[in-house]
Amino acid sequence: MLAALSVQTTEEENESRRELDGLLLRVGQGDRNAFARLYALTRGAVYALALSLLHDCQEAQDVSQDTFVKVWESAPGYQSQGSPMAWLLTIARNLARSRLRQGGRQVELDEEEWNALPASLPAVTSEDRVVLQEALAGLGAEERQIVLLHAVTGLKHREIALLLELPLSTVLSKYHRGLKKLKIMMRGEEHP
Amino acid sequence: MTDRELERKLADAVNRAAPDDLDAILSRCGVQNGSVMEMKELKRSQDIIDVEVTEVKPRKKWSRWLAAACAALVLLGAGGGGLIYQQSYAVASVVSLDVNPSIELKVNRKERVISCTALNTEAAAVLFDMDGGADLKGTKVDVAVNAIVGALVREGYLDSISSAILISVEDNDQGRAARLQAELVASVDGVLKTQAPGTSVLSQVVDHGTLRVEYGNFDNVSTGKAAMVQNVMIRNGFNDDAFDQLAALSVEELNDLLETGEQRIPIGKSAAAMAAEEYAGTAAMDSVTADVDPELDEYPPHYEVELKTAWGEFEYIVDAFTGEVLSGQKDLLNQTPGGQDPPVYPNTPPANEQYVGQDSGKADVAGGTLIGEDAAKKAALDNAGLAESDVTNWKIERDWDDGRLEYEIEFWCGTTEYDCTVDGHTGSVLKCGVDHHGNSGSGHHSDPHHNGSGTGTTGTNASTADIGAEAAKAAALAHAGVTESQTTKMEVERDWDDGRLEYDVEFDAGRIEYEYTIDGATGAILEYEWDD
Repeated sequence: MLAALSVQTTEEENESRRELDGLLLRVGQGDRNAFARLYALTRGAVYALALSLLHDCQEAQDVSQDTFVKVWESAPGYQSQGSPMAWLLTIARNLARSRLRQGGRQVELDEEEWNALPASLPAVTSEDRVVLQEALAGLGAEERQIVLLHAVTGLKHREIALLLELPLSTVLSKYHRGLKKLKIMMRGEEHP
Repeated sequence: MTDRELERKLADAVNRAAPDDLDAILSRCGVQNGSVMEMKELKRSQDIIDVEVTEVKPRKKWSRWLAAACAALVLLGAGGGGLIYQQSYAVASVVSLDVNPSIELKVNRKERVISCTALNTEAAAVLFDMDGGADLKGTKVDVAVNAIVGALVREGYLDSISSAILISVEDNDQGRAARLQAELVASVDGVLKTQAPGTSVLSQVVDHGTLRVEYGNFDNVSTGKAAMVQNVMIRNGFNDDAFDQLAALSVEELNDLLETGEQRIPIGKSAAAMAAEEYAGTAAMDSVTADVDPELDEYPPHYEVELKTAWGEFEYIVDAFTGEVLSGQKDLLNQTPGGQDPPVYPNTPPANEQYVGQDSGKADVAGGTLIGEDAAKKAALDNAGLAESDVTNWKIERDWDDGRLEYEIEFWCGTTEYDCTVDGHTGSVLKCGVDHHGNSGSGHHSDPHHNGSGTGTTGTNASTADIGAEAAKAAALAHAGVTESQTTKMEVERDWDDGRLEYDVEFDAGRIEYEYTIDGATGAILEYEWDD
């Protein structure tokens, strides 16, 4: 599953990339089973990116759906180029930005409310709720995007920099700062 | 906690929180690139723009695409810049409607319908005129629900006095679910009050997650109905194996089970219909149809089955659990005329027309004699106060209702149409309607018997004259031959019909219910009906 993507061993990373690559090529030939498998492996990553950009779980869900429909439509033109996940997330990023523009909202959303979770979701544990809603709310928007992308999508810092169109140094510093803040907040939750 | 542990925790939380919408996505996955998409916009109402993607042949269609894109821009521009095109595919709530047809609506957070699905074949028939539900996409959920309820009424699913419809709302946001539930119930109540007043509207908010875990997937049962079934299982003490059998029952039957606490599973409407048809010997005949009304809350619990045959309608009472026919006429096709309880013509159930005028003196189903067509005509004429020479355009049909013969008689006197039902055994007039088709503006009616009751004015301009509610009431009372003090439930309503002012006057006198339509300008009786 997707958790495997975040395990940073080169062997596993390469294996994951090869699998996604193969799946995308099959999806390009109209293979719906491959599409279902691709969806299972990457829906968390697409959702995380959409959520980090839009700050709202319902809008993130809409954009996630749009992304996969677009992936299905565009897959015949997909060419293996090293990072299938980055290809997929670029589609999600563009759709999320487009939605922000349509809604007349700024891309910078520091001031906006962070609404990560619907009122109740059976699979989500109370600890998940603390991590996603309360702890992430304490990060700046870019810190949150970078930490989420690194944790959930398995992208390297360099790929995140490309995706978010930020300098690599910014990504690195915000990643470390964000992770540090998150740890402090989580520790606070554990030992109030 | 290490960085990696923290990231893993975050990744797991996101994966659990990410919605799994594969089915919804696959339903939108159509043509892959290599074909050009044409955007076709549909303006469904003043404030909705829905966009459909349809496949067109590749090449040379870019101009069409561009034209459509431009049209979309114009449309957006027409909203004064404030109209923002944005679709929402995320399912916020799932609304299900169950009678026996089960229909599921997926709704976004703006309460617009994303998809409408028929969960069983009966539901597919109900949605047939709405392109299988596709026509409802993009509409507000309350509008869609009203359209479906209207179709359920038209298809006859809510016409028994004890029909029940279940509205279920499933939503992670309980507050929104409760709000939507209240809105929909109020709206459906409003529709049914006029169209199917006997129907009970049941509603609930359900928790989808819990149900799926306990019973796995139930593809042809809405979550709402599954929740109701679960409730019956718990309250009445059924074990889990009963789920499928209970889920096949209608909402009305399930509701009766809940009310009575019954611990046996009834045979269901189609089995009851089959039992009655076998008993009647009509099971092999395609022309026989059955209306089944469950009465599980009566003693003994039973189904009332009405078989409609070419030679009349017959009622059967079928035990709700054993399927035994408790009452009704056996072997309809093998009875001889004059026999104890059977249809009039053995082995050949022909069309109604063949019977017209052929029945005089024949034995009827109740063992007595029929009055015959001439006597029925005379009864209708006497009731209208007319002689046969006054009337034209006779139309007489025989109809069997619960084994009793009735004559449906229509005739005209000038521009007035009469429509009467006469009991074929006693000759009494069961029902009579009068419809005046005359020139409403002049106040002159060619029918001398119904040209007003003397209380109205005969103004030359009907559109401005108004006799008033009291005069309309007086005209109706005079015609009925009763005084107001003898009546109850008097209702007078002022109404415009095709530009003509009319008063609808209704009242009960004794056991008879009267309904009149009075010309608001002249006081003439345009239509009346009374029912015993």
